[in-house]
Amino acid sequence: MPTSNAPSLIPYNPNLNGNPASATGSAYPNGNPALGYNRPGVRNTDSAVPLHGEGPVVHDYASDGPAPGNIAMRWIYGSNVAAKNRDPRIQVMQYNEDSFILRQNVCSHWEAPFTYLLFGNDRALLIDTGAHASAHYYPLRETVDAIMTRWGQARRRPNLPLTVVMTSGEDIAQNQGLVQFAGRLGTTLQPKPIELMKRFHRLSAWPEGTGTIDLGGRTITVIPTPGTHKDGISLFDPYTGFLFTGDFFYPGKIQIANDRDYIASLERLIRFRDGHAVKWVMGGHIEMMFVPGKAYPRFATYKPYERLLQMDPALLDEGLTYAREVAGKSLMLIRPNFIFLNDVSPDQRTTVWPEGVPNIDPPRPF
Amino acid sequence: MQPQIQRRSFLSLTAAAAVLSGESVLKAAVQAPGPRIGFKRPGAAPGAFPQKWICGSPSLMDNTDPPSQVHWYNEHTAILRQNKAYSYEAPFAPLYFGNDRVLLLDEGFVQLRNDWDLRGIVDDCIESWCRRNGRNPADMELLVAFSHIHADHYAGTNQFADRPNTRYMGLTHEEMLGFWGMTNFPEQRVTLDLGGREVLIWGSPGHVISECAFYDSYTHILYTGDMFYRGRCYISFWQPWFDSMQRLIDFVDTHPVSHVMGCHVEISSKGEDYAYGMTWQPDEAPVHMSVDDLRHAFEIAKTIKEPGIYFTGKVFLCNQTRGTTTIDRNPYRYD
Repeated sequence: MPTSNAPSLIPYNPNLNGNPASATGSAYPNGNPALGYNRPGVRNTDSAVPLHGEGPVVHDYASDGPAPGNIAMRWIYGSNVAAKNRDPRIQVMQYNEDSFILRQNVCSHWEAPFTYLLFGNDRALLIDTGAHASAHYYPLRETVDAIMTRWGQARRRPNLPLTVVMTSGEDIAQNQGLVQFAGRLGTTLQPKPIELMKRFHRLSAWPEGTGTIDLGGRTITVIPTPGTHKDGISLFDPYTGFLFTGDFFYPGKIQIANDRDYIASLERLIRFRDGHAVKWVMGGHIEMMFVPGKAYPRFATYKPYERLLQMDPALLDEGLTYAREVAGKSLMLIRPNFIFLNDVSPDQRTTVWPEGVPNIDPPRPF
Repeated sequence: MQPQIQRRSFLSLTAAAAVLSGESVLKAAVQAPGPRIGFKRPGAAPGAFPQKWICGSPSLMDNTDPPSQVHWYNEHTAILRQNKAYSYEAPFAPLYFGNDRVLLLDEGFVQLRNDWDLRGIVDDCIESWCRRNGRNPADMELLVAFSHIHADHYAGTNQFADRPNTRYMGLTHEEMLGFWGMTNFPEQRVTLDLGGREVLIWGSPGHVISECAFYDSYTHILYTGDMFYRGRCYISFWQPWFDSMQRLIDFVDTHPVSHVMGCHVEISSKGEDYAYGMTWQPDEAPVHMSVDDLRHAFEIAKTIKEPGIYFTGKVFLCNQTRGTTTIDRNPYRYD
C-alpha cells in the first residue's frame, strides 16, 4: 500500500518504472507499484472454486453498509419498429453475486417491468413476475431456473427453495408470470387475493406492521404500502440496501389509486427508511426520460432516452410533499424524477411546468 | 405559369388537363395495352372488406403479420393497413386503380424504407394489377397523396421521391391545395380522373385545417380521413368540423355512398375504447361505417355545445380535448 506521503499516481520515471512507455500510451506499461497489490474492485468469478468441494458454501450476508454491486450496462430499450426487435426477451443484469435484476423486453410488453431475484443461504426470492403469462413471450421461469442452477452449482446448493412474491397481486403488469411457476418443486407462491396475501406475509395489523422473509442470513422485510394498489407491498433487502417499491414509487407516471392510503404508506415508508440503511429505491418500471420531468407515453415501445432505474431514497421526502399537494384533487403533477396522476386519465397532460426545473426537449428518435 | 398548369394537369377540371389526358390515351393505345376498363357503371362496384384486419399482437417482437395487410376490396381497389407492430397508429390507406393512374391515399407512420417498405408494397400491388389487366406498370402514373397533413399519414411519402412517373404531395397547406388544383378550399369539389375512374375531392377541415374528403365514384366509398373514423375523432376546431360534417351530409344526400371509411380503428366491436397508443386490438370494430352512422353522429353533433368527449355509439367525438386524451381511467382506483 502507498505510504501516506507517497503520491497515489507517480509520474513516469524510467529508472523506477522499468521499460519506456509503451505504444499503448499507458503511463505505467508495467503497472504502478504505488497503487498496492490488493485494490478494491476485485471480483470473485468462481473459476478457482474447488471442483469437488465439500458441502454447500455458506455466505456471510452481514456487511458494513450496502453490499457492493453494479448496474454495469444500460437497459435494453425497445426499437423503432417493434416487430423487428431482436433483443433478448429478458435482460438479466447481475448486480452482485447474490442479486439479479431482470427486465422484460419493451417490445415484448410496453410496461417492461423489472423483476428481482435475490439469493440467501437457504432460499431464493423472486420479486414480481412480469407482464406476460406466456412462457414463449416471456420465458421467466426458464430464465430463473437457469440462474438458480448456475448459482446452485457455484454454491453447491442444488434444489434451492424459491419464494415468489409480488409488489401487487392485482397488477397485471407484475402478476402475469406467476402461472409459469405453478407446480414447480420447492416453490412457494404468494397468493394473489389480498386477504390470503396478508396471511401469507403475516400482516395481521395491515397496513401497520411488517413481515419478514428469511432467505438464510439475508432477511427481507415486507412493508405494507397500499396507495397505488389496494394490496401493494414494498420489500427491503438489508444486504444490497434496496427498497423494492413496484408501482408505489418509481421513476414514471405514478397513478395514485387512493390518495389517503398513498400518503399514509409514504409516511410509513419514510419512517422505515430513516431507521434502515436504504441505498436505492428500486421501482418496477421506468417511464421518465433522461431529462427532468419528461416521460414516455403509455404503450411506447422505443425508449432510447430512459432515466436510470435506481432512485435516491431522499426522493421519498419529495414524494410525500407533493403527494400531499395532489391529495383530494384531480391533478397531474410533474416533478423531475416522477409524475403523480391522481384521479385523472393515465393519458392526462398538463401545461403546468414545475418551477425551477429546466425544461429540456429530449432528443427525438429519428 | 406553365409548370403550374402541368403540375395539376391530371385534373379533368381544366381544359389543359382534358387535352393532356386525351394525349395519354392516344399514347396508351399505341403501346397496345389490355382493353380499357369501363369504370362507369350503374350502382356501386361490388366489393368486400375482410372479416378481420391485422390488429397487432400481445407481444410485438413476436408479431408475424406482414408489414402491411393488403386487402383487395375488388379487382381495382386495394386497401392497405399498416401493422400495429410497425406503428401503433396503424392507418388504413386506399389504393385506387384507374386506366391511366393509381391513387395512393396515406403513407403510414414509418419513414424509412428499410423499416417498412411501403414503396415495395405499393409496387407489388401495381405490378399484380397490371399483370391481371395487361398493362405495363411503368406506364401507370402513381399519385402519392394523403388525407391530411399529419405525420401518421405522410411519413412514408419520401420513399417515393425517386420513383419514376410519380407525383407526390408536399407537406404544406398550399402544396396540398395546389396538388388538387383547388382555389376555393374547402367548398370547392374537384374531380380527379384516374382514367375513366373519377374521384371527387373537397375540403373537410376540423381535425386539422389541411384535410380533404374523397369519394370514389366506382366503389362509392367515402373516405373521410381522420375527420370522421371509427375511434376518437379529435376535433381541434369545432365550427370548421361541424361545417365539414354538414358538407358530408349534403354530399350523401345527393350521391349514393356504399361505405364511409376512416383512417383508423380505435374501438372494439362492443364499443370499448382502445386507448391512444395501444398495439393489440384483438376485438376491433370494422373500419367501414354506414351513411346512417354518419347521419347519426351529425345529429348528436348538433346537440354538442361545449368541449368534451361524446360517444355516438360508433365513434367518439372529442371536441377540443387534447390530442391523446382518452376516456381511460386508472383501473386500480379504490375508496
